[in-house]
Amino acid sequence: MSVRILLADDHPLTRSGIAEFVKRESTFELVAEAEDGISAWEQIFTLKPDVALLDIRMPGLDGVTVAQKVKNEGINTAIVMLTSYDAQQYVIASLRAGARGFVLKTVSPKELTTAINTVAKGGLYLDPEVASVMGEQDFIPEQLSVREREVLLLAAKGLSSKEVAKQLFISERTVQTHLASIYDKLGSRNKTEALLLALKYGVVTLEELLDD
Amino acid sequence: MEAAVSSYVQDLAESMSFHLSSESDVWTFQMLSDFTRYPFFSWGPSIPGWVALLDQDARVIIASPGAMNIAAIWNPEFPVGKAIRITDRQGAQYTLAVYPVKRASGGYVVAAVSWSQLLGGLVGVTRIWPILIVIIGLSSFFAIRLLWSKLVTPLQSLVAEIDSMTLGKDVPDQLGEGTIQEIDSVHSALMRYAQAAVERDNLRNSYVKDVVRAQEQERMDMARELHDGPLQDITALLQQIHMVAMDENKTSRLKRAEIIAKSVVRELRSLCDELAPPWMDLGLSEAMTELAERLAQVYDISVFTDIDEAIREVDVENEKILSLLRIVQEAVSNAVRHGEADEVDIQLRREGDLITMEISDNGKGFDAGDINHETLRVEGHRGLASMKERMSLMNGSLKIASEQGKGTVITASFKS
Repeated sequence: MSVRILLADDHPLTRSGIAEFVKRESTFELVAEAEDGISAWEQIFTLKPDVALLDIRMPGLDGVTVAQKVKNEGINTAIVMLTSYDAQQYVIASLRAGARGFVLKTVSPKELTTAINTVAKGGLYLDPEVASVMGEQDFIPEQLSVREREVLLLAAKGLSSKEVAKQLFISERTVQTHLASIYDKLGSRNKTEALLLALKYGVVTLEELLDD
Repeated sequence: MEAAVSSYVQDLAESMSFHLSSESDVWTFQMLSDFTRYPFFSWGPSIPGWVALLDQDARVIIASPGAMNIAAIWNPEFPVGKAIRITDRQGAQYTLAVYPVKRASGGYVVAAVSWSQLLGGLVGVTRIWPILIVIIGLSSFFAIRLLWSKLVTPLQSLVAEIDSMTLGKDVPDQLGEGTIQEIDSVHSALMRYAQAAVERDNLRNSYVKDVVRAQEQERMDMARELHDGPLQDITALLQQIHMVAMDENKTSRLKRAEIIAKSVVRELRSLCDELAPPWMDLGLSEAMTELAERLAQVYDISVFTDIDEAIREVDVENEKILSLLRIVQEAVSNAVRHGEADEVDIQLRREGDLITMEISDNGKGFDAGDINHETLRVEGHRGLASMKERMSLMNGSLKIASEQGKGTVITASFKS
């Protein structure tokens, strides 16, 4: 059974390029194209595709908002953000909004196929280029401790070190120490990267991140 | 005048002597009360003349006030029934008339008018009047001249000065000597004002010059970046495409073309981020985190962010977010380049609608005076100046606290 796909991008050339590729894949079926966020949302609502490829910057509604609406309505469409911007905060924002994939438009057809297939099966796919160190390995070299996992999850939810410290009844300094150790173990340079890597390695799940 | 006075004294003396002649022999109170019918015996306003009743030996029997010195001027040879003009020993002039009382006891009625009393000070004044007029005339002339030279002329030149002055270009000339202090102080106030305007104008000119220069510099930088980066890469890409058409080894050529194209995308993306990062759409917290992480990578330092959860609850306009991002970029760049810092902390706090951002570093610090942004810019501290400008455009404030060897703390606050 083929994967039913919706593609939304306001740039005609990019859209036709991606559409052409999707149509060529025998396992994919392009059910709709949209050139703005509102039409994307309406078609997702009526067509309920398996996967929606959404640009982030679109007129009307941006991709993150569309993803949020899909999540709120409980529609079973897996969202993949397809964007020109490599900001890690976009990844976090997209994942928070319920997206299961984040792919840059420079992606190769092979990678896009993998991304679509992964999210269609309920997995999570992040473009290797989003964090330059990502994608070099698929497993975590050293496991995080229980406390480190807690610290990472709270920090990932946007809490400051002080707030994390308060919630876990530890000192701010200790939080900093934990974070440093987390970065070290994951091979990340900052909090966002740490979270993305932790998601990729399965140290934390998307559900845990979204569970507020 | 002379004739009126003469007839007055004659009539007075004659009527009294006639009246007294017809009466009884004895001086009675009746007689006195009769006298009082004449106005000169009442307490009314003083009159310039007097009357007196003398006995045969020229002793005063009764007299109106002012007549007591009659003895001093009495002369038995005064003609009777005719007004004469005499001068007493003090030089006072009188016109008087003598009439005999036709009674057994005899006697005279003397009526007189004193000229000095009649005309009073007026007679004296008439003599010095011309001199007075000359004095008054001269003093008025000198007063007007003085007023003219000390007041009107300086005021006129002041008005001319103000009229012809271009504010911000000229300073008025020194005022000539010899005006009153008030005009002098108005003039010096004007001078100070004009001087300040000139200084302000100069400052503004160099300020505008610097803004223009900075703009041009930015354009040049951007042009160079486009030229050295994407333009070169796309040229290379084009060459690869040309080669594909001719070459047998298509796959490897295309692989290279793809690598080049990807690099163009990366370069353009970072150029876009530099111009106006699209990710500021995500909101202040996310944008600040993103920037901090990028800056940490670019400069290879630690950039910690500590952002209140409460910040997410307020909607900060993109323009303001961009300003805060620019301030952080500038602050981190300064901290690394000038302060040799390797750690920067960024705190974002919210109290009500007041958002405060504090950027502190562990660098060398510098002597930060309390200087305004125009001066900063003109003196070449463009970065600090633009930080201050950005905050003042947001109706916010920016404070820079730094000391040699103690790092720098930049505090920016504004209302969301």
